[in-house]
Amino acid sequence: MSDDISKRCCLANESEPTVTRSTVPMWIIVVTLVLLFFGGLYFDSHGDWGNQKLYKPFTSAEQLETFQPKSGAAAVMAQGRASYETVCGICHGSDGMGKPGQAPALAGSEWVTTKGVNRLAHIPLAGISGPLQVKGQNWNLAMAAMGAALPDENLAAALTYIRSSWGNQAGEVTADEVRNIRAAIGNSPPMLSREQLLALPE
Amino acid sequence: MNPNENTFVACGSSKIDASLRVPLLALFGGAAVWLIVGLVLGLIAGIKFHAPEFLSTIPMLTYGRVAPAANDAVLYGFCIPAGLGVMLWVLARLSQMPLVLPMVPVVAANLWNIGVLIGTGGILIGESTGHPWLEYPRAAAVILFAAFLLIAVSAAGTFGWRRERALYPSHWFLFAALLWFPWIYSTASLLLNTVWLPRGVVQPVIGWWFANNLVFVWLALVGIGTAFYFLPKISGKPLAGSGYALFAFLTLVFFGAWCGIPASAPVPAWLPTASAFAALLTIIPILAIAIITIKTVFGSGVSCQGGPFCFIKFGVVCFVLSGLMYVASACPQSSRVLEFTWFGFAQTQLQLLGFFALIIFGAAYEILPKIMGGALPFPKLAKLHFFLTAGGVLLFVIPLAIAGVEQGKALMNPAIAFADANGVTLKFLRISTTGQLLILLGALLFALNIFVMTMKWQLALVKSLIAAVKAPLPEATAQRDQEVKV
Repeated sequence: MSDDISKRCCLANESEPTVTRSTVPMWIIVVTLVLLFFGGLYFDSHGDWGNQKLYKPFTSAEQLETFQPKSGAAAVMAQGRASYETVCGICHGSDGMGKPGQAPALAGSEWVTTKGVNRLAHIPLAGISGPLQVKGQNWNLAMAAMGAALPDENLAAALTYIRSSWGNQAGEVTADEVRNIRAAIGNSPPMLSREQLLALPE
Repeated sequence: MNPNENTFVACGSSKIDASLRVPLLALFGGAAVWLIVGLVLGLIAGIKFHAPEFLSTIPMLTYGRVAPAANDAVLYGFCIPAGLGVMLWVLARLSQMPLVLPMVPVVAANLWNIGVLIGTGGILIGESTGHPWLEYPRAAAVILFAAFLLIAVSAAGTFGWRRERALYPSHWFLFAALLWFPWIYSTASLLLNTVWLPRGVVQPVIGWWFANNLVFVWLALVGIGTAFYFLPKISGKPLAGSGYALFAFLTLVFFGAWCGIPASAPVPAWLPTASAFAALLTIIPILAIAIITIKTVFGSGVSCQGGPFCFIKFGVVCFVLSGLMYVASACPQSSRVLEFTWFGFAQTQLQLLGFFALIIFGAAYEILPKIMGGALPFPKLAKLHFFLTAGGVLLFVIPLAIAGVEQGKALMNPAIAFADANGVTLKFLRISTTGQLLILLGALLFALNIFVMTMKWQLALVKSLIAAVKAPLPEATAQRDQEVKV
């Protein structure tokens, strides 16, 4: 038969194409198995077997773990920052500079960078109202017990965060310290005044 | 007709061909028109890269609407109905059985054309769904689905009542395609084109799965099934190796189905990883198909003269190339350069216009003289069609693929500004627009052959009708009876 298009014929009974019978050749099965093997290795090392949390360009949950902050100072700071920005930062600002007429600054505040943490931790747990001097500026506002709803660990981390950010260089606050103060003042304590706060040990 | 009668009497191919005349003219005629519409829209989209202000004041013809409308008009308007037409003919011939319910595909072809009209119009007036290859609005999707099922009923009936019981490799590919489309189209449409959309990244994952299964797997099943029928028929040699063919079919269906998720897609990493794994394995069916073709074609003594053999051989070469390009763009190392460039577009266009369209053209030029009982009206134009399309595809796709690599390299270089990285592709785009123009000219010749052939046949029908009316009464009745029989 030729490929000339003008000589396409219309036979009454054309024969239909046939196929030579053969088995699947061995070599192509071997090549498939080799590709399956290397493909499988690739899937095993890059796919993490259906882990919903793993995205490209990461290749395994273990590798992703190495990019997470470890336990210790970095983890506490990351958690503290998250708690601070959802609860405290709205008024005190994510830069810790406060907002005029709304909330005093925390950066460089003498109430934050105290030696002990007793007085500082009382403020978010009990709230504070009335006249207060911060960095030589007079304030007369009220803050409810904004931190009372936070778990001890998160509040401790948030306090640690404000004590060591924006130039502040005071020490760490532990969850135990927060837990003890919370136990001492009980549920729904009255708001503190400046004098009551100063009467507490530092 | 009672399919059980004459089971043991061989059925003449002329009777089979006659039963396919009207359905195939309906399917091919609509397909030829939509091909021209799609290519013109594609050309408009292409020109916008040289002259951004071209037709920019008409909202309907802005790039964001014209480009998807062009793709969908070629795929849904041309590839699928023309592929179904060829499939009906091949299944009927292999079954040695006239088409079952021959009027059903005629109705379905018209329904299908209405669906494509609503869909393409919908995209142009801004009613696209926004999911690539599934842009047609809901109404069009329902019509297309119904039309496909109607054609599938006729095809499956012809297959089920076949007189030649032995199966041939084309059967596997074509019958799988018959089941594949309703499965993927209903799944993707129900999930993405209804009011109960899944949320978040599930949407693009479904979209990628569907696009891959339609543009890669479905087109491969129909195109290769067709090539496996016509290559041995024209070369006069048997198809080389049922073992190769079986393995190619199984691996294509099994691994092809889960390709398509881009290597750096922002979805859980196991999805693109599994997709890259499957894409690597699709080298196997591509290799097997290449081997079968080489073994069947070489040494047959049939030389390429711009006829169906040329079209189909060129189509298989394009399939192998586009398949390898697909694997390259799924491979994580190369995809880093090739992603978000012209390379993917070049691969898709090679698949649609190089591989699938060329095989369908070849098959149509082989089938049309048989079902019409006479030669093509313009055989020389059909030859010219081959050289125009083959040259056009090369000019269209190769520069775009190179442009993709160049663009990717430029995008990887932080010293090159984004606009400059895209500017690298301009000189390639100018060549590719020339290629588009050649393909469009070829499509016009294809449509010319089909429509002149159809009109001649209709004219002959009218003439015989007039003759029948003018003739003395008893003879006229006899002639009408004869016509009914045919």
